[in-house]
Amino acid sequence: METALRSALGAAAQNITAEDFDAIVRRHQRRVHRFLLMLLRDPDEADNLTQECFLRAYQNRSTFRGESGVETWLLRIAANLAHDHARSRRAGFWKRLLGLDGNDNEGIADKLVTSEASPERAFLAREDARAVWDAASQLSQQQRAVFLLRFVEEMELNEIASALGLQVGSVKTHLFRAVQTVRGRLRNLR
Amino acid sequence: MNSNDNTHGPLVERAVVSFDLAAEHHMAGCQPCQAERDHVENALREFAAANREYTTRPEEFWEMQAARIRAARTESDTRSRITMTLVPSVVVLLLAAFAILGRAPSVRPMRSAVPAAQIDADHELLLEVERAIQSDTPRALEPATLMVEEGDGTLPLDPALQNKETRSHEN
Repeated sequence: METALRSALGAAAQNITAEDFDAIVRRHQRRVHRFLLMLLRDPDEADNLTQECFLRAYQNRSTFRGESGVETWLLRIAANLAHDHARSRRAGFWKRLLGLDGNDNEGIADKLVTSEASPERAFLAREDARAVWDAASQLSQQQRAVFLLRFVEEMELNEIASALGLQVGSVKTHLFRAVQTVRGRLRNLR
Repeated sequence: MNSNDNTHGPLVERAVVSFDLAAEHHMAGCQPCQAERDHVENALREFAAANREYTTRPEEFWEMQAARIRAARTESDTRSRITMTLVPSVVVLLLAAFAILGRAPSVRPMRSAVPAAQIDADHELLLEVERAIQSDTPRALEPATLMVEEGDGTLPLDPALQNKETRSHEN
């Protein structure tokens, strides 16, 4: 399926049918949405930018050369959209300043409570997840994008580099700093 | 090493970020660093799991989103089709308009009947006449008159006027 879509996009991108593109949307929308939601922490914006991402991909499908996977290409568009969005969004500054987006920590941490986990383990896990989330908040958007693609999306370093238009060395540097920040937060918990 | 120490810190980060031979070698012989690395990696795994669960949406959400993307794509197609149709038409219309305007007899601006140099000469002549009337002195005598003025301070005498006055006294 992926090969067929890639060849459809690569060889005759302009001739891609509506059905082909719908299949691409259905296949990748969850990951693109998740990446944008984690990056922006705003469900409405993540939803809007996911749509925008696929629309841009459709409009610029002739520029896709098949050198990277369709998903990497889509994540690159998503990252660029998120970057532009963050740059233009001045309200976000006030939102962060007033702590209006701090409730997401609870939402994520609550998801860690599983039926098989002991209360103590669940508590510790929740605290650790919150610390990681807090640490991720301190990162620059570029660093956060690298961090999320590596540890949540479990992408390889070269895939991340391709998705974000970076050198592998820069990806490693961003990750090093991100893990350093996470480690610092976790140490503060103990 | 105490796990809270930061002595071997960078090695833990390097081991977590990607495979690093030196870091792996150190981890094999340093139990606290190994424990620290496990702790960080566990926290990251839990964070990832929490994120995946947090971003989970019901199937209807994805269906609706796909439908919205389809609608936006259709609209974009329609818009680009209209643009592709309209742009050549507008270009053809503009070319036709230029062609028609190019053939029509053009109104050329009329040249000024009096050349600029002549206007200047007339103007100068007028000024000279005016100056001569006001000074009551023939232009040819002007330098001499000025010399008299500078010499004794008396007003210049116009010879024509002097003759007139003499004749009136004779009468």
